[in-house]
Amino acid sequence: MRKLVLLFLLAATPALGQVVADTPNPMAGNADAVEAGHALFGKMNCAGCHGYDLTGGMGPDLTDASWLYGGKPGEIFHTIAEGTPRGMPAWNDRLTPDQIWQLVSYIESKKAN
Amino acid sequence: MAFRNLLLGAVFAFATPALAAAAAPGGDAAPAGKSLTGATANLAPNDSAGQWTRQARDYANTRFSPLAQINKKNVARLRIAWTFSDGQMYGHEGAPLVVGDTMFVVTPYPNIAYALDLAKPGAPIKWVYQPNPDPRAIGEACCDKVLRGWAYADGKLIYNLLDDHTVAVDAQTGKEVWRVLLDDVSKGPTMTQAAFVVGGKVYVGSSGGELGTNGWFQALDVKDGHTIWKAFTNGPDDGALIGADFKPFYPWMKGKDLGVSTWPGEAWKQGASAPWGWVSYDPDLNEIYYGTSNPGPRVPSQRPGLNLWSSAVFARDADSGQAKWAYQFTPHDEWDYDGVNENVLIDIPWNGAHRKVMVHFNRNGFAYTIDRSNGEVLVAKPFGLQNWAKEVDLKTGMPVVNDAAHPVVEKKVENICPPDIGVKNWNPSAFSPRTGLLYAGVFNSCMDLTNHIVQYIPGATYDGMEMQRHAGPGGNWGEFIAWDPVQGKRVWSIKENLYVWSGAVVTGSDLVFYGTMDGWFRAVDARSGKVLWSQKLGSGITAAPMTFLGPDKRQYVAVYAGVGGGAGVIRREKGFMPGGNTLYVFSVDGSGIGTGNSQLISQAGAAAPVSVPPAAAHN
Repeated sequence: MRKLVLLFLLAATPALGQVVADTPNPMAGNADAVEAGHALFGKMNCAGCHGYDLTGGMGPDLTDASWLYGGKPGEIFHTIAEGTPRGMPAWNDRLTPDQIWQLVSYIESKKAN
Repeated sequence: MAFRNLLLGAVFAFATPALAAAAAPGGDAAPAGKSLTGATANLAPNDSAGQWTRQARDYANTRFSPLAQINKKNVARLRIAWTFSDGQMYGHEGAPLVVGDTMFVVTPYPNIAYALDLAKPGAPIKWVYQPNPDPRAIGEACCDKVLRGWAYADGKLIYNLLDDHTVAVDAQTGKEVWRVLLDDVSKGPTMTQAAFVVGGKVYVGSSGGELGTNGWFQALDVKDGHTIWKAFTNGPDDGALIGADFKPFYPWMKGKDLGVSTWPGEAWKQGASAPWGWVSYDPDLNEIYYGTSNPGPRVPSQRPGLNLWSSAVFARDADSGQAKWAYQFTPHDEWDYDGVNENVLIDIPWNGAHRKVMVHFNRNGFAYTIDRSNGEVLVAKPFGLQNWAKEVDLKTGMPVVNDAAHPVVEKKVENICPPDIGVKNWNPSAFSPRTGLLYAGVFNSCMDLTNHIVQYIPGATYDGMEMQRHAGPGGNWGEFIAWDPVQGKRVWSIKENLYVWSGAVVTGSDLVFYGTMDGWFRAVDARSGKVLWSQKLGSGITAAPMTFLGPDKRQYVAVYAGVGGGAGVIRREKGFMPGGNTLYVFSVDGSGIGTGNSQLISQAGAAAPVSVPPAAAHN
């Protein structure tokens, strides 16, 4: 049973190499994930670049419809994990895939409609 | 006292002189040619009147041009002579340089240099230099991907790249002469400062006040770029070039290794204090002067202590780099009030004697007149809206901080004035030895501030200030003011809708030029503050204007319109314009070599006759 749970978790949170642009956010709609992502957004200094309201500043606005590196959950996951050539740091050595999905959840919760 | 009352008190304290000036609108405040304050300046190196070979024109940083062809009578006839678009969309901040018949401009990132041939119709490109800086710098530069200026010396155009290189380019050919790497951009530092040259040395400083950097300033050899001396802002005295020559005026800045002991533990190593602003030079004292940025992180509860030498000014021997004195404007800076703004070197009458001083409009809202030979503060008065301090105590040199202005972690503190960007930012002021006044674009705004504890992560921001900024009383975000540096008071002011974040230039005909963020370029009577001419440009103006004589001996005024930089903090305000990248060059009637009335007969590469002789433009 324990093994089954672990398998389920692994399936729910695909690792970096398994995430493609169309990979759905396994935590989509999860309020706890949004809140955890919110905390990480402050703790990992994301807000310093993207703003405490996510509307940008030093770095791009994360609430608008413009995405330099793709706005699908899997694409946002990759941008956070691997960084960008334009100076966004790579976070895969500081954050687990779960934490990155939590950040994706938080960012998606702030998207303007 | 309620904080609201504090705010009103602060408004009243500086509003009085402005009201007095408003009582006599438009009238000349003094006969032509009479200095209103007795202040003068050493305009060394005394370039010929038509040239503009360094960002502030002279070592003293006056941005005063003796040119007077464009005057109060003909300024309303200013029209565009030619324009130049450089294609880059980040904020444009520097002033063009004119050396002989060539104009030099450098774009924001990717820092492309252009030489323009002023002797030919339309000033075509002589050469282009593309340094291809590392794009990772884009993500590390806090306040847009800007460059505040470039320098000319020894036949070379010398400037900083955003990715921590300084380069020198042959001014004739555009070929790179040398390129030196000065820091590691992946850890946070960038370079946005305007290189400053005196003799055989190029003075450059690091940027990165919001990235936990370890700020430094250094002198490079003009010949090959090698480092002659390097002074870290913080840390042990030996690394900061603080030794036996160091004699600060105030006792609280005296002692060993204060750049370590005024920080908790090793916090100074991420204490930023980056010298990203202007440098000035006194040839008699052989001293250079420059300021340092905010301490890192911006959350003060994480770094109890004075945090020396952040938010301060240094005087150093120009040859050895040894510190002569320092003065910390904002001890234990809690609001991001960098000390990097320009230090304008002037001489003033003071209690029956003459004093060699510097005038410094600090982000914190006080304009300081400081004896530059010893660091004594003679005058410190608010030049705009501030309520964080009751005053600067001239006996101690310490500000008297209002209790209600201290930030609190995870609690919103309302109405702290000014916000992080200050009452004035890096946008350089101008000084006229004719009027004895300084001219500066200033801000009228406050913030609601919530601090958040932050951790240091190399290459990420080290910041922690969450702000909502709002316009101050009157609803106007900005003003352009004339300032008396002896009395410490405003002489006149012009209200503008948005922050006035452009530089200024003042001329021998008592005209001051500045630009607004909603795209207006204005000429103002330097004595009365009366607006004599305005032209709407294609973008907001956050660059420094300049003026020069062309090869046709005609006076031109030039300014970039390309809003950006820190000005982006109010990009969502009504009237804020999209970015741009056009240099506008003006002359009386728009006349120039092969342009103006003769433009229909000009051809590519052919020098058409001059349409209106410069002599006619005098009238």
